[in-house]
Amino acid sequence: MKELLERLEDRFTVTESDVERDNLAFITLPSKEVVQAATHLRDIEGFGHLVMISAVDYIERGIFQLTYILHNYDKHSDIGVRTEIDRRNPVMDSIHHLWAAARVYQQELREMFGIDFPGSPRVDEPMILEGWDNIPPMRKDFDTKKYAEETYFPREGRVTYDPARAMEEKNYPLEARVKKRIQKLLREGKDED
Amino acid sequence: MNLRDVLSPFYAWKRTLEKPFTIKRPVEEVRRGAPGYRGFHINDVGKCIGCGSCSRICQNGAIDMVPVEGIKSGHGDSGLRPRIDYGRCCWCALCVDICPTGSLGMSNKYNWISPDGDEFVFTPGVDDKNWDQSSEGYRRRDETWLIEPVKTDMPVLEPEVRRRSFEEVAEGYDDELARREAMRCIECGLCIEACPTHMDVPQYIKSIRDNNLEEGLRILYETNPFSESCGRICTARCQDACPLGREGEPVMIRWLKRYITDRTAPRAREILADFHSLPQTGKKVAIVGGGPSGLTAAYYLKSYGHNATIFEMHDELGGMLRYGIPEYRLPKAILDREIKTILDTGVETKLEVKIGEDVSLKDLYDDYDAVFVSIGAQRGTSMPIEGIDTPGVLVGVDFLDEIAKGKRPNLGEKVAVIGGGNTAMDVCRTSVRLGSKEVVVLYRRTEREMPAAHEEVEEAREEGVRFEFLTAPTIISKKDDKLELECIRMELGEPDESGRRRPVPIEGSEFKITADTCIMAIGQKVENVMAEQVGVETTRWGTFEVDEDTLTTNVEGIFAGGDCETGPDDAIKAIAAGKKAAYFINRYLKED
Repeated sequence: MKELLERLEDRFTVTESDVERDNLAFITLPSKEVVQAATHLRDIEGFGHLVMISAVDYIERGIFQLTYILHNYDKHSDIGVRTEIDRRNPVMDSIHHLWAAARVYQQELREMFGIDFPGSPRVDEPMILEGWDNIPPMRKDFDTKKYAEETYFPREGRVTYDPARAMEEKNYPLEARVKKRIQKLLREGKDED
Repeated sequence: MNLRDVLSPFYAWKRTLEKPFTIKRPVEEVRRGAPGYRGFHINDVGKCIGCGSCSRICQNGAIDMVPVEGIKSGHGDSGLRPRIDYGRCCWCALCVDICPTGSLGMSNKYNWISPDGDEFVFTPGVDDKNWDQSSEGYRRRDETWLIEPVKTDMPVLEPEVRRRSFEEVAEGYDDELARREAMRCIECGLCIEACPTHMDVPQYIKSIRDNNLEEGLRILYETNPFSESCGRICTARCQDACPLGREGEPVMIRWLKRYITDRTAPRAREILADFHSLPQTGKKVAIVGGGPSGLTAAYYLKSYGHNATIFEMHDELGGMLRYGIPEYRLPKAILDREIKTILDTGVETKLEVKIGEDVSLKDLYDDYDAVFVSIGAQRGTSMPIEGIDTPGVLVGVDFLDEIAKGKRPNLGEKVAVIGGGNTAMDVCRTSVRLGSKEVVVLYRRTEREMPAAHEEVEEAREEGVRFEFLTAPTIISKKDDKLELECIRMELGEPDESGRRRPVPIEGSEFKITADTCIMAIGQKVENVMAEQVGVETTRWGTFEVDEDTLTTNVEGIFAGGDCETGPDDAIKAIAAGKKAAYFINRYLKED
């Protein structure tokens, strides 16, 4: 693994690398070098199998992190190639010409994160979100709870209580009234008694 | 195509006339969930406290919080329990991973059929299900727990430094520590009930996360104009109620409050100027006693547009905050600036006037439209034992009073402190700071029953204070130039009225302790001479008798609250009483 990483470092701009186990390592590359590196890993280093492509939305850093996991059947080892792309312009080079199966992952990333892979076959077709008219649902700024509340009607007969409010009403209604009236006095200048 | 291909389908017909053969295997056996499968929830309702974290985190809105018969609301338990709508649950287990008590889990049961859709909405642990006892399924693990169970430590002075000075022990959170601690809050609000003045704790903690401390300060002052002092010395009942304390350490609510006031102090007056107050009514309210209760009442009465005049027997305001709490817990400069914020609203003060002696309560009652008595319980009590008058035997509160006024008496090498409350802790830790080499606290029950805050006890230990539990003095006498305390060991018997087990002396266990000074910190009482001047009723303990709801005494227009009504208690309870008094005095004045 170590030698492999050294060879990769000679060829590519590896900004981070970390060996997790004897047969698992991760490297981080600039997005422009990912296709080259994947080609090299497939054709020269024997990583013939694409295990998966996944994404993480680091909204606070303004990036999507993509991870390509490749497997070498001869050596039973895996390498993860990570890269970061700008969240405001989420476009990444396609690798469907290296592995046909990449098409499916890329289509899914397009649907769930809104990351585009120009040239990837059927990349704009929905996989499961037919008729979706919201931001891609796996993005961190997608409010799942709000969506659920707006989209699905509540089952009839459901009621819920806020714990703090319930305790107030049950255990100290008088003190709660005093508190609210004084809050109103200070905030709005109103004396409601 | 050959002939075989044509004929073989007909071969299957050879059993057409036979009886069908079926192997019956129950669904349970065949379709058992894997051991770690996430199936229907289980909830230990005895452990659950109804904080509602599961309900708030559920992204599908599948969880309701509902009252459950037989589960009482109060003391850090909302009395509600989660009810789950399985039409919405997506089995993600966020609810399990956030649960502060670990009561909520998931069984690995997933296959359950019922023709009635309503059956799929139920309260786990309350509505019996056959998987309730299942030990398989998904449980929260430490590494999946979404809560940080460990508190952010407060930087404190080293015990060695503390022993030599009255400098404040806790140094305060910086921005990063405060934010980290504020992030731990799960916003359940169970703490609000526990606070006597019901401060909006989750809201002001949120102001720290949002970096909006000005709003934080306003939230504090809505319920407590002594937030700065409380951020240091409050007994923090809220923290006892915090769900994070169940399986970890509670959110350090008190230190977060202190952080807000520390950061906003230079601009406090300006920030609070946003608050409204009503036009002047011309009504006059006399407040007897300038402690936390009286000053709080004055602050809110001013907002109601009434004139408030405080009569204080000492030459400075603050009551027990000043004369009872040592400098190392609450620096006087902090107390001064906090009181100034209150006085700046236009509260009038008359210092060194003792109502009951210099001026009678009757005169005040005649001159003012309403009177609020908040004189506290300042007279220290001592034990009815032989030799209590021996020179060198001091009363705890009087001793602290002297210290607060700047005196630094020499207590000698060895000091014995009698009592187990917060006053006893203040006394023993002050003795250490005065240079006594050996300070021992005698308490008649065990550490468990001590009314003092646990933290105080720990800090006292760090400073070298020694504890003798299950011990009480019986006779004090002078031997040469030292005091000799004859003591007896106790054992715990049946619980008394307060619910604590009564100490019973063990015969024949007498032993002697010598000390240079002995300080009694066993209780305080109310000096209520003024009560009879207008016929205000008092209780058999000497406290003022009031209607608990409105704090009115039997004499119309006279209200009482704080320690003088409850007996010695903490500052926050007195503050709550002051706020309540202001509200009901305003109502009384409006009806007038």
